[in-house]
Amino acid sequence: MGFLVTTLIFIVVGIIAALCARICCNKGPSTNLLHLTLVMTATVCCWMMWAIVYIAQMNPLIVPILSETE
Amino acid sequence: MEDFIDKLPQMDLMRSEKMTLVQLIIPVESSHRCITYLGELGLLQFRDLNADKSPFQRTFANQVKRCGEMSRKLRFFKDQIDKAGLRCSPRHELEPDFELGHLERQLADHEHEVLEMNSNSEKLRQTYNELLEFKIVLQNASGFLVSSNAHAIGDETELHESTYSNNGFIESSSLLEQEMRPEPLNQSGLRFISGIINKDKLLRFERMLFRATRGNMLFNQTPSDEEIMDPLTSEMVEKIVFVVFFSGEQARTKILKICEAFGANCYPVPEDTTKQRQLTREVLSRLSDLEATLDAGTRHRNNALSSVGYSLTKWITMVRREKAVYDTLNMLNFDVTKKCLVGEGWCPTFAKTQIHEVLQRATFDSNSQVGVIFHVMQAVESPPTYFRTNKLTNAFQEIIDAYGVARYQEANPAVYSVVTYPFLFAVMFGDWGHGLCLLLGALYLLARERKLSTQKLGSFMEMLFGGRYVIFLMALFSIYCGLIYNEFFSVPFHIFGSSAYKCRDTTCSDAYTVGLIKYRDPYPFGVDPSWRGSRTELPYLNSLKMKMSILLGISQMNLGLILSFFNARFFGSSLDIKYQFIPQMIFLNSLFGYLSLLIIIKWCTGSQADLYHVMIYMFLSPTEELGENELFWGQRPLQIVLLLMAFIAVPWMLFPKPFALRKIHMERFQGRTYGVLVTSEVDLDVEEPDSARAHGHQEEDFNFSEIFVHQLIHSIEFVLGSVSNTASYLRLWALSLAHSELSTVFYEKVLLLAWGYENILIRLIGVAVFAFATAFILLMMETLSAFLHALRLHWVEFMGKFFHGDGYKFKPFSFALISDDDE
Repeated sequence: MGFLVTTLIFIVVGIIAALCARICCNKGPSTNLLHLTLVMTATVCCWMMWAIVYIAQMNPLIVPILSETE
Repeated sequence: MEDFIDKLPQMDLMRSEKMTLVQLIIPVESSHRCITYLGELGLLQFRDLNADKSPFQRTFANQVKRCGEMSRKLRFFKDQIDKAGLRCSPRHELEPDFELGHLERQLADHEHEVLEMNSNSEKLRQTYNELLEFKIVLQNASGFLVSSNAHAIGDETELHESTYSNNGFIESSSLLEQEMRPEPLNQSGLRFISGIINKDKLLRFERMLFRATRGNMLFNQTPSDEEIMDPLTSEMVEKIVFVVFFSGEQARTKILKICEAFGANCYPVPEDTTKQRQLTREVLSRLSDLEATLDAGTRHRNNALSSVGYSLTKWITMVRREKAVYDTLNMLNFDVTKKCLVGEGWCPTFAKTQIHEVLQRATFDSNSQVGVIFHVMQAVESPPTYFRTNKLTNAFQEIIDAYGVARYQEANPAVYSVVTYPFLFAVMFGDWGHGLCLLLGALYLLARERKLSTQKLGSFMEMLFGGRYVIFLMALFSIYCGLIYNEFFSVPFHIFGSSAYKCRDTTCSDAYTVGLIKYRDPYPFGVDPSWRGSRTELPYLNSLKMKMSILLGISQMNLGLILSFFNARFFGSSLDIKYQFIPQMIFLNSLFGYLSLLIIIKWCTGSQADLYHVMIYMFLSPTEELGENELFWGQRPLQIVLLLMAFIAVPWMLFPKPFALRKIHMERFQGRTYGVLVTSEVDLDVEEPDSARAHGHQEEDFNFSEIFVHQLIHSIEFVLGSVSNTASYLRLWALSLAHSELSTVFYEKVLLLAWGYENILIRLIGVAVFAFATAFILLMMETLSAFLHALRLHWVEFMGKFFHGDGYKFKPFSFALISDDDE
């Protein structure tokens, strides 16, 4: 459940960033496509990083065993 | 789908700008102006049509020589100004249209003036030195003569006892002195020579004199207080005043010759004290006169140099531009009628109108009757590659170009590198405390951008400044990855809520033996803070990061393969798609894509399957039962299918393409193998560019074995490389582990240890050591290390899948690009 919600949040943030890029620097169709590509790549990279770390923690095989502190 | 891709506009940086080969026919009278204006525009790369001629055979060799001579004179002025220590701020006055001959005459005049002034002041300085030495000799030698006068009637033994010190002079007599009978000076012909010599030559000089006169001489010496400038070395040297007493004419000639040999200057000192005093007064007055003259001369020369200095930088730029223009003119050819110059060059297609305008303006300005003819030609060779970058993308493009300039119109990896490069850096650097430090540094560079771009920086600072946007993006991604790894100088925080783990019961008795349990959903963002400091932290994080590296690596390699698909589509090579892209995709994804799938399934289901075991036994015994390594239903048949597909993919990428190429070649040249020499001349009804005539025709022999070996190498490289490249991505894990461990060590073993003591001094030292270690080891060394490894991952693993990189860069003739030390 938390996974899907956060994925949606990432998608929404990506769309907002793309819109901002379109509004702020609107310099013709080819440049717009470049900006869109960059925003999409960044969103995908960030989402992948988060998703990997989240999924890895969903069903862990080992648990934290505290170490003896002095 | 295909239509959708076709309808998309061409992305900005993705492929090189379209270039056209143009031919210019310029009338001679407007040629200089045309080239100058084109240089200002900076969008045309001229081809050298006279490449086989030596520099002396070219048309405008004379003008180039004159420019070289002028720049030599300008360098001379610059040296003189630097030596004189003047600092001239350039005075900006608009000069009328620049004319080469006029500047040449001006520079010749100035040079003549400066050289004359220099030689005059040389002579004056020499005279000044001589007078100065004479003055010193007079002052010091008079002391000897007085004493020897007084001692003339004294005993011989008193000569080596000095009772008075006049300016601290030392009297040293020769060893055989005691046997010499002292005789009064004037009556017995005991004469003397006085002079001055360099201090370091003194001992040898004295010994030589002793040997030459067989000991029949008395040598007195005293150091002078003032240093004198040696004209040869322009340094101040110490000199010693000496007086040699001797008798006999032969001794005199010998001594004079020895003085000359050792560079000692002899000055006659009168014995009479009044005469001495008179002479001293004369010399002093002459000295002061000379000083005044020298000062006046220096001031006059400095004025002349300053007046040159005001316009010096401007002249240097102008001469450099002229030389560049003439070098370019040398690349053009005279046509048959000798009235026009013909040139060829590459220019971007979008710049054609601009160039046309510039040429028209040049024709108008030079009042020429005939306009410049400017038309497009067919190109035989491949055009240069040109990307229009802004200051953000420029640094990334240079990073990619360092590996190889993209072939004309192939996909540019820099587009994706703008994001993936800082991202992979951040995966290896992940710590948001260090990321914040990098961000501060990058913001500083960005804030002082305008000021720093005009200054001349050292090489290290220049590299940092050039990469300021790279560092900025790296810092932003590092902060993000640091939040994910949950490390702030290796300290975890509970920013996103409380941990997902807690003790099994309220006493937490077995937290140190069996551990905590997970009682709710995973930590919403990043690594759970409970892991830090636990005993199982490293096994858990290692497993996480290794799998993460594999997943990121397979994604990036797939992106590379997809770019190769788009390349093949763009160049219309369906052979490449069918027989290269598809088998490569199948091979990579059926083995390593399947591994990624297994990783994700294992994480989602929490199965205890051993993935190493699964992958290895997929190859060794694919039909065996999986038992407890089964992750999903139907795994065994799926594995067998994937294995078969991978096996088929290998010969699929190896054999069909060379045979298909051979078939195409046969079809094209069927029946034309003998007719090649004859028909190709007739075929070309398009005007062939000048330069191509030299190359000849490009009909190469289709060498099947060469093509086959090439394909074999390509396939083996891909197959073996898929394993090694996947493993290579594990450096993402390795470096992030190293960074995290270093940072933990510095935090726990330096800062916390020092903070444990009550003493303020130890605490301060601890903080200082922590700061230095963080700044130098973590921020500098780790940054460079992660930078380098991210670079390697891009160059080899990513770009190796699709990039050819055998193009050449577009270097337009532009005044802005002429470098400073381009002589």
